[in-house]
Amino acid sequence: MKVSLSWIGEFVDLDGVAPERVAELLSLHTAEVEGLEWFGEAIADVVVGEVVACGPHPGADKLSLTRVEFGAGEAVPVVCGAPNVRRGLKVAFAPVGSRLPGGIKIKKARLRGETSCGMICSERELELSDEHQGILELDPAAPVGARLVDYLGLLDPVLELDNKSLTHRPDLWGHYGFARELAAILGRELRPLPLAPPWPEADGEGVPIELEDRAGCPLYLGLRIDLDAAPRPSPGWLRRRLLAVGQRPLDDVVDLTNYILLETGQPTHAFDLDRLQGPEIRVRPAAQGELLTTLDGVERQLVAEDLVIADAGRAVALAGVMGGENSEVGPETRRLLLESASFDPVRVRRTAQRHGLRSEASARFEKSLDPALAPEALRRFASLLARVRPEARVLGPPAVAGAAAAPAIRLELEPERAARLLGLPLGREEVAAPLRALGFAVADEGSGPLQVGVPSWRATKDVTLPIDLVEEVGRMAGYHRIRPEALLAPVEPPWTDPVRLLGRRLADRLAGAWQGAETQGYSFLDRRWAERLGLPEESFARLANPVQDRVDLVRRDPVPTLLEQAAGNVRERPRGLLFELAKGYEADRADADGLPVERRWLGAVLWQRPGVRPDGPESAFGAARSLTEDLLRTAVAPAGAEPGHGPSWAHPARALAWRGEPDRLLGWSASLDPRLAGELDLDGFDTAVVLLDLAALAELGAGRLPAFRPPARVPAIKVDVALALPEEVSYAEVEAALRRAGGKLLESLTLFDLFAGGSLPPGQRSLAFHAVLRAPDRTLGEKDERRFLERAAQAAQELGGALRA
Amino acid sequence: MRDQLERLRREGLAALAGAEDEAALRREEVRLLGRQGELTALLKQVGALPAAERPEAGRLANAVKAELAAALDERRRALAAARLERDLSGAGFDPTLPGPPPPAGTLHPITRVQRRLEDLFTAMGFVVADGPEVELEENNFDALNIPADHPAREAQDTIWVRSERGVCMRTHTSPVQVRALRRFGVPLRVVAPGRVFRQETQDASHDHTFHQMEGLVVDRGVGVGHMLHAMNTLLAGVFGRDLETRLRPGFFPFVEPGFELDARCPFCSDGCRVCKGSTWVELMPGGLVHPNVLRACGVDPEEYSGYAFGLGLSRLAMLCYGIDDIRWLLGGDLRFLEQFPA
Repeated sequence: MKVSLSWIGEFVDLDGVAPERVAELLSLHTAEVEGLEWFGEAIADVVVGEVVACGPHPGADKLSLTRVEFGAGEAVPVVCGAPNVRRGLKVAFAPVGSRLPGGIKIKKARLRGETSCGMICSERELELSDEHQGILELDPAAPVGARLVDYLGLLDPVLELDNKSLTHRPDLWGHYGFARELAAILGRELRPLPLAPPWPEADGEGVPIELEDRAGCPLYLGLRIDLDAAPRPSPGWLRRRLLAVGQRPLDDVVDLTNYILLETGQPTHAFDLDRLQGPEIRVRPAAQGELLTTLDGVERQLVAEDLVIADAGRAVALAGVMGGENSEVGPETRRLLLESASFDPVRVRRTAQRHGLRSEASARFEKSLDPALAPEALRRFASLLARVRPEARVLGPPAVAGAAAAPAIRLELEPERAARLLGLPLGREEVAAPLRALGFAVADEGSGPLQVGVPSWRATKDVTLPIDLVEEVGRMAGYHRIRPEALLAPVEPPWTDPVRLLGRRLADRLAGAWQGAETQGYSFLDRRWAERLGLPEESFARLANPVQDRVDLVRRDPVPTLLEQAAGNVRERPRGLLFELAKGYEADRADADGLPVERRWLGAVLWQRPGVRPDGPESAFGAARSLTEDLLRTAVAPAGAEPGHGPSWAHPARALAWRGEPDRLLGWSASLDPRLAGELDLDGFDTAVVLLDLAALAELGAGRLPAFRPPARVPAIKVDVALALPEEVSYAEVEAALRRAGGKLLESLTLFDLFAGGSLPPGQRSLAFHAVLRAPDRTLGEKDERRFLERAAQAAQELGGALRA
Repeated sequence: MRDQLERLRREGLAALAGAEDEAALRREEVRLLGRQGELTALLKQVGALPAAERPEAGRLANAVKAELAAALDERRRALAAARLERDLSGAGFDPTLPGPPPPAGTLHPITRVQRRLEDLFTAMGFVVADGPEVELEENNFDALNIPADHPAREAQDTIWVRSERGVCMRTHTSPVQVRALRRFGVPLRVVAPGRVFRQETQDASHDHTFHQMEGLVVDRGVGVGHMLHAMNTLLAGVFGRDLETRLRPGFFPFVEPGFELDARCPFCSDGCRVCKGSTWVELMPGGLVHPNVLRACGVDPEEYSGYAFGLGLSRLAMLCYGIDDIRWLLGGDLRFLEQFPA
């Protein structure tokens, strides 16, 4: 919202306070000022000139050749195309070198062979109005050479307020509210709003008003006015006020309603009284499907929750939002019905939203305006009308239907408590004074709480509790006076969340040892994922109003987004590891609050170009396996893997389920299902996924520490052993057989080579191991090695193969 | 024999002195003094000499051997000294050649900022609390003194979850205030980082999913000064130095009075893009916990008071690292993620 300081200056003296300072004071005490601009600055170069000679242009019928004096040396030749230019006229003159709105720079020019040194301006060229039929004619007494902005009083500092910082303050949606704030901040007097003299006697006529929906409209006033003549342009001062705050002037009737709105915050609406059927006013809910063409020319289909102003026959306005075309003020208008009312804020907001029609009026009504403003606005209108159009007549007092008032709120405020909460050393009077300055009624008996009456303009929703008064006291005293103060609290370690801490350790491990990149993905999934994962949509929490159509599932775990992100990266990075600590929600179960059950996951995806084998140490599957083992070791969670079915994203034959003791599922590591890989454009990559249940892991590892075993003092012997076996024999079977062969002496067994083909017969493969043998009490010798190799050979035979030489 | 030895001596000494490097010297050593070397060969011939000549020849051979060994030793030292000198001179060493590719491994920028704050507040005795992202309307709005007809609840601001009771994607981390107060009771010091959701069209500075951190302290006698202290400490922790700050009025239904905290722009002294030329950056909303919120959480507002503040973690991460577009944060692009080493 724009606020003109010259306008505010009508109600509070701002002399000696620079506009920059006003902006800062409002920001620090009231609401956020986003900017300060000077209205009129764009035409600051324009001066008052006098046309001292005027004759026809020798080369063009419609142009005149003039000489203009503007207080700087001799008169200069100027070519002018306006029909109203004439000798002796005082004009707005833009000399050579000056600038006009829109960045136009005036240069010396030749027009049809004649030199022109400057430009005589129309109102449109000065952006004072749309008038461009002729040049602006100034008063004959205008001083030649003076800056136009000074002569007309155009320069006006205008503040831009952040509307969001005003939403809770219905009193700040007009200039008078800001004047009240500034008067309190500066400790200066607030002048009353000039209101009309008492209403004239009733004239026996009137417009009956019926309120059929008291909740939607508790108070409605209608004032009849005889304009005596058609609407016409407003005087310059009024137009400039509106222009300064970004409102386009139209005619005096519309301009005055806008002026009232911008000054008091109360919207009013002028109907052409002679176009109202009856004439009468009925405020009623719209009929479902009822049509109304609003002033913006749009035909709107209404619903029953909309409130309309109707006459005897039809709706004539959308209450609190916008008037209707059928009763619009126009050139034929001679008599007005001026509406000023109180509407239900929520109804107005909903209607404005429903019809995509947020107007200046609806923006204010939805803030819960003080109902006392409704009659006041009519009196202010009448007072301005007398100034703008003295021949107009107010026809009797306004017709009034209903009644409304802000609640009368009385609060008790303990000054000591206010001071303590604010952290400011304030005495009783320092608490009471700013409240009084803001219009609160404060009674102080010298001890005990202050008795505070809330003024109507703050009582509609803003100030209802003693704590609200603390805010008023604090912001007036100045928040900049508050000093930081360390909290005194017992020294004790705070509770810590074991799942969060474990997540941290595992992330460090993945980013450190595994060189992974931690990522974060969006929580929302495309509906297609339900099908991809083979899960019913109901098992996901589903959005009622998703940001993006069909992206309405809340993810159950991070796997889908990890896969999508991997697919997005493969072009630039043919190999990678992404991981995420994420929450997931399962809607097929409910927690104690009835919410979908929350799970906390660690997910990782690894991808690379396919190698020789899809399994084993070089594969993504193998890496996922080792990574999982490592994370479980970091979590000190004793667990093992068993081949089995993973979740539906997992390859049906290439998945490991990880289980802790006692039997508890901790998660999975698996190759990606090739069909899913194809859908995600991940085919061509060897991709594996790890998904671990962080809460289960934290629980399993709780209180456990790595167990130390003293290293042996006796040397070990190292034996390499290679077995040629049928391909169907799994590594696990071979390992188990070798471990049996090694017995207690076998300390470790490491696969170091795996191959098929070559000298091996088809259907066979060779597995080669480093074995370390050690006895606790003696040094082993060749005999021990031989015995191990014999037993290994026997084991190989039992598995259908043989020891290789 | 004598001549042969004499020739070996002369020729050997010259060869040793002429050896250009340690490898050549080693070759000469083998040739002259090795087990199959020339001297050994001569020594073997000594046995074949007449007995009278043997002692003389033996002495001479040993003398030649000793002389050659000494010369070898001297040359070896000289070559070693020369090598050390060359080594120390840096010749032949290119320090600009790269090493092996360094290990990758990165943590998300939000994690980095969040951890710094978690550690800071944990050190001050705050609990780091957590709450669900799919939240009850009751906790997200009602308990926070946000009226039933408040515009924030409407579908153009809040993302609602299909449910028989009011359930939404939480629009702020503030419902954790409610959950923490109910779970831990008073006195309480708590921060709650996490993701929040709003009905927003995505652009460079808006996303429908972003991160916040909530702070809440409830105790006897808590006032605005305590809040200011926590906010200042937080900013000093994030930016590594004290920043000048100021409180301005702000409005949020769950606090009263409400504030906006501005800090002197950490990136300039005379106006820049971040502070839009004003030298102040709006960083944190906060305020004293509204009595209605305390009451909704079973805390007596006559006895206890508290402060709460909110912090845009996403925004802070963007400020700290100069990230120009919020959509990088949840986009999963490795070219972005790789820039934040763990």
